[in-house]
Amino acid sequence: MKLICVVKFVPDVDNFRYDFENNKLIREDMRLILNPDDACAVAFALKVKEKLAGTVVEVVTMAPKKIVPHMEDLLRLGVDKGVILSDKAFAGSDTYVTSKVLSRYLLGQHYDCIITGTHAVDGDTAHVPAQLGEWLGLNQMSGITKVDMEKFNKAFAYVDVDNDQTSATYEVSLPAVLSLTREIGYKLPYVRKGEINRDVKSSIYILGGEDLGLHEDQTGLKGSLTQVVETYAKQYEKRERTLVKADNDGVETVFHYLHEKGFI
Amino acid sequence: MKKCLIFLDSEQIQNSIELLEVARRMYPDEHWEAYGVVINYSPPEAQGFFDFIIQVNARNIKQYNLKEITNAISDIHKQYNFDVILIPGTWCGRILAPRLAVRLQTGLTADVTEIRHKEDSIEMVRPVFSSRMMAGIINKSNGPIMMSVRQNVFKYAGNKDRQTRLVEFDYQSNAQPGIRQVSVYEKSQSYDIRESNVLVSGGGGVGKDFHRLEALAEVLKGHVAASRRIVDKGIAPRSIQVGQSGKTVSPKLYIALGIYGAIQHVEGLKNVACIISVNTNANAPICSLSDIVVEGDALLFVDLLTERIRIYNEATKCPPLL
Repeated sequence: MKLICVVKFVPDVDNFRYDFENNKLIREDMRLILNPDDACAVAFALKVKEKLAGTVVEVVTMAPKKIVPHMEDLLRLGVDKGVILSDKAFAGSDTYVTSKVLSRYLLGQHYDCIITGTHAVDGDTAHVPAQLGEWLGLNQMSGITKVDMEKFNKAFAYVDVDNDQTSATYEVSLPAVLSLTREIGYKLPYVRKGEINRDVKSSIYILGGEDLGLHEDQTGLKGSLTQVVETYAKQYEKRERTLVKADNDGVETVFHYLHEKGFI
Repeated sequence: MKKCLIFLDSEQIQNSIELLEVARRMYPDEHWEAYGVVINYSPPEAQGFFDFIIQVNARNIKQYNLKEITNAISDIHKQYNFDVILIPGTWCGRILAPRLAVRLQTGLTADVTEIRHKEDSIEMVRPVFSSRMMAGIINKSNGPIMMSVRQNVFKYAGNKDRQTRLVEFDYQSNAQPGIRQVSVYEKSQSYDIRESNVLVSGGGGVGKDFHRLEALAEVLKGHVAASRRIVDKGIAPRSIQVGQSGKTVSPKLYIALGIYGAIQHVEGLKNVACIISVNTNANAPICSLSDIVVEGDALLFVDLLTERIRIYNEATKCPPLL
């Protein structure tokens, strides 16, 4: 069985620093990490490989070349092939272009299932997985919280999706794009000590726009159909606040406030 | 005249109808026609809100067969040539919108929370970088302006006396849809935080003692809610998460316990009358939005306040009649 995981490397947003004086993000030395939902996708694929002999796992990403060390670590964990679609001309691509670039590569590949995350913590549009489905003519499902490992085969996947009010199980014919969420709970292990320095370079492929038959004008800002024209820090209405301590006096103040407002 | 199409998610009809407000804000001084598209039935709630309800009749298609629904809506678009296509940010909507945008080769903006006008262009505003910032986005393509819209943000305030006409659209699929629902069950969540008047909400500062908030929520006749930190740690269910990646809530009273108040969280608070925050750091962002800031340990405060209200309730209880 051949599984292709399509992943994104994102700025470590939880450890962002923000310049409140000037209302901007401090971008210097911002670390890139594997997007959490996507890490679950790779971990799931490796779990399948463990259970089903003959499974081959490939990881594909559109990213700057500086993520090579991250990709090397994924190979040391058992991924068989890493593909990095990288080109200066890709910079500034919106989700339409990103999915076009990724699908341009995927259209020439053989696979039984494409696994992705649902949300990326930086853009959080959740567009690319669905758009890949459209470009490739496949069904795609987001928000998957469980895949039935016992029943997972080349023909079908049984997946659970948690909605607002409902929880449902679907039978999805493969090939399809399955997009997992963190709640699925698969975690990537650490690279084992003996593996840390294993040379995996020969399994990493870096392809640019030309290799994919894409002209400069078709990618990056030029090829994008949306454009960010301004960014600004959100302004919130500040309130006249009363400051108290978490002691009996403070509780008394809060109690009287709640009483006065009719909550008690 | 502008033509605006809204996808009506059959599981979230009311929320989908509210998207009319987006069109109203896009074209404040222009006449626009409201179209709603819905799969296999016609919702009575839509009467008066739309000029046309387009009912897609496709017997073997369910609402979750979104590849097929993309085909159907794309066919409909060819016929009407809409200026705007609005899709609610529901589970179905967030799968449908990107597919349809690729099909129509048009730009798509996700999770829009505001519409702005800048010179001649319509700017769609959405939070970015985990809601730390807002971005204004325009559509550069020649296709319709497309967006998915954040739920519970827009409330329709326009006219509700349109003559709604039903248009039936037969869609024939020639392929197996490839996705079949095997089972479904309603979740047992007994309340919806979007409907609560009082929310007692916990964040990272509360940690695994989150359950202790229940007692305070109970004496205040409210419910508990949580921030993303607590939900990501698996301490509270996703269904009670407040914020950009959770739900937008509008309680009368919001008590934020050990919540830092990243924009991602604050984005989830709309028109909250009273906010009380308890935090070891009185300069946490949530504190500047609060009416009362309690500096100190959130759990200690919870226990003290719960007890104080209990004593009051006991004292004011009517004595039993003899």
